[in-house]
Amino acid sequence: MSSRTTFIGAVEIGTSKITALVGEYNGRELAIIGHGECSSRGMIKGAVVDYKAASECTHSALEQAERDAGERIELVFLAQTGGHLEGFYNEASLNVKAADNMIDADDIRTVSDLAKSKELPAGRMVVHNIRRPFRVDGRLIPGTPENLVGQRLEVGYWTVHGQEPRLADNIHVIRGFNLEVRELVLASLASGHMVTTAEERQHGVLAIDLGAGTTDYVLYRDGSPHTTGVVPVGGSHLTNDLSIGLRLTEGQAEKLKLRFGRAAVQARDKADKVWLDGNFSIGDRQFPRLAIEQITAARTWELLEVVKKKLGSAFSPETCAAGVVLTGGTAKLAGIAETAAKVFGVPAHLGETPSWVAENLRDPANNTALGLLYYGVSSQNERALSARRRGGFLSNVKRLFASS
Amino acid sequence: MNPLNPTLTPARHWKDIPQQVSHRAMSSEGRRRVVFGGLKTAVIIGALALLAWGGVELASVFQDDPKKMPEVVKATQMKDLVLVTDGVLDQAWLAHTLALPKGTSLMELDLFQLRTRLLASGQVRAATLTRNFPATLAVTLAERTPMARLQVEDKAGAPQTLFVARDGVVFEGAGFDPKMTETLPWLAGVKLARQGGAFLPITGMEPVAELLAKAKLEAEHLYVNWRVVSLARLESDGEIEIGTKEGTKITFGATEDFFRQLANLDAILDAARAQPDKALREINLAVGGQVPVAFDGLSAQTPPAAGAVKPASSVTKPLLFTGLSNH
Repeated sequence: MSSRTTFIGAVEIGTSKITALVGEYNGRELAIIGHGECSSRGMIKGAVVDYKAASECTHSALEQAERDAGERIELVFLAQTGGHLEGFYNEASLNVKAADNMIDADDIRTVSDLAKSKELPAGRMVVHNIRRPFRVDGRLIPGTPENLVGQRLEVGYWTVHGQEPRLADNIHVIRGFNLEVRELVLASLASGHMVTTAEERQHGVLAIDLGAGTTDYVLYRDGSPHTTGVVPVGGSHLTNDLSIGLRLTEGQAEKLKLRFGRAAVQARDKADKVWLDGNFSIGDRQFPRLAIEQITAARTWELLEVVKKKLGSAFSPETCAAGVVLTGGTAKLAGIAETAAKVFGVPAHLGETPSWVAENLRDPANNTALGLLYYGVSSQNERALSARRRGGFLSNVKRLFASS
Repeated sequence: MNPLNPTLTPARHWKDIPQQVSHRAMSSEGRRRVVFGGLKTAVIIGALALLAWGGVELASVFQDDPKKMPEVVKATQMKDLVLVTDGVLDQAWLAHTLALPKGTSLMELDLFQLRTRLLASGQVRAATLTRNFPATLAVTLAERTPMARLQVEDKAGAPQTLFVARDGVVFEGAGFDPKMTETLPWLAGVKLARQGGAFLPITGMEPVAELLAKAKLEAEHLYVNWRVVSLARLESDGEIEIGTKEGTKITFGATEDFFRQLANLDAILDAARAQPDKALREINLAVGGQVPVAFDGLSAQTPPAAGAVKPASSVTKPLLFTGLSNH
């Protein structure tokens, strides 16, 4: 990215709300200068189902953010979630070609291209190629292996891919505001980048973003993302269960969930009842607290169990020393950390928004949008840096001779 | 594509999704932004065009009106004076004629006035003055070539030699090689009129110049003997009279073909040389095919020696003589 000031928009089109942030980036520092929010419409489980409604909400949030910032957004980093997203791991290895076994840039590029070259099913597109650390003769290399000596170079990529129409829908919503989508970032990577520290990522940590329609997770190992995934279940399913179980409308169930919902059952007295509204209005009625807690806790447990099951062998308490970090709107459910700790068998805690974030943005529901800005900017900087490295005169001449 | 592994084809990336959306898929704010973006582009292009136009205008103003030039430009002194000419005038003459004050700047020069000063000399037919920034004045001249000489009296009564060009312009002449000017015939039979300190151009000089040029080019051995060219009978009779060093008067018809007349003259002179005892007094080439020739010491009735003088074009015709003897 150039050193001139750029006004970047970070947009998360969620199932319950749409968040837009405006970041002022001068090539070195990123400052958040605008914030816009709008209740979501036309979205189900992270996918656009009503283009017009989704566009109106998103554009409203963008306008609000631009007004708040007093600047016009130039480009957008867009969060991507949804049940259509899947991931797989593919690795490649090669014998170092130099006689002295010194690894050069060509070796690295070749093995990386090989690892990324797996074909996808029709109609699917790559969203992210997340590289895992290189290995030289089985030895883990946290950085670049260039100029190291070894006989065998290995690398693996966790490739996240999604359905082309779903990806295009989200992009077109932003384009409808005449803005370019510069980066498409997996929601779990964005929020995980925000709520975990570099040290935690190095030791191994699982970040779970519990949204309204989806639950996104990312497992970090050795300082980089190891596995990501999306479960198309979120807080709205808790609301739905309450609505069915207690025979309530969605709005009433949501109200009860927010006030009395828990991820772990605490109530012991079956006779303990809570009022729906609590304002003595006509139609107000009572519900057993235990029933509410049992419904929400059971669903939460189940949800976390699904996450654990999807992680499979990638997750183990030994490789996840830093535990589980929970974020997202549904993570505000009381007792969720205890439940997560029980499910995963490792310590769990709620992700804390860094202290330098303004007070009005310090909400778990904003972590994805915040992380979008920081993850997007840092990944673009890394890309620019590696492009500069690749673009050296000598390496170009060398490539020219190599290809002839 | 990896150059070492050309068969590797990367999977399709989300960036392959085209980001163009149709107009109807845009919100009103999106459309407003498109219009605003278009307007912004148009304004920028307009501003750039305006800036370029302003620059051109400013440059032309500065070029045309030295008074509007900024002081910095005015302060740059003129250093070089370059002369390009098709004639004989030199740098010294130019510097003397222009008489530019020392330390003057290029933009302070009044080119029109300088040009007028150059054209005041009749020798200069056309002059172009160009400012070559930062400090050079380039002068390109087209000069007149003298065809004949004139002897006049200057204001003090002293004799002064002037030159006459093909177009009749009378000028003092500078830089000419004296050997060349000495070969020029003197002009006679003209009435010079002054206007504003200079002589008015001589009318009817064109056929005379043509005769002289043709004689110099085609029959230089004849031309070198011509001393005087008289225009006295040009207007009335259409005749140009030439006086030679030997005192012979040769009359040319101004409307006849000069080449034929010169050929006749050459033939007559060749024939006359066969009679060295007789001096030619007058040859009239203006009357057509028959050329009257008069010799000194012969009466008009005296027939010439048989076949002595006969023009090439009238070999079969009898030679005519003028009835006048040299009194």
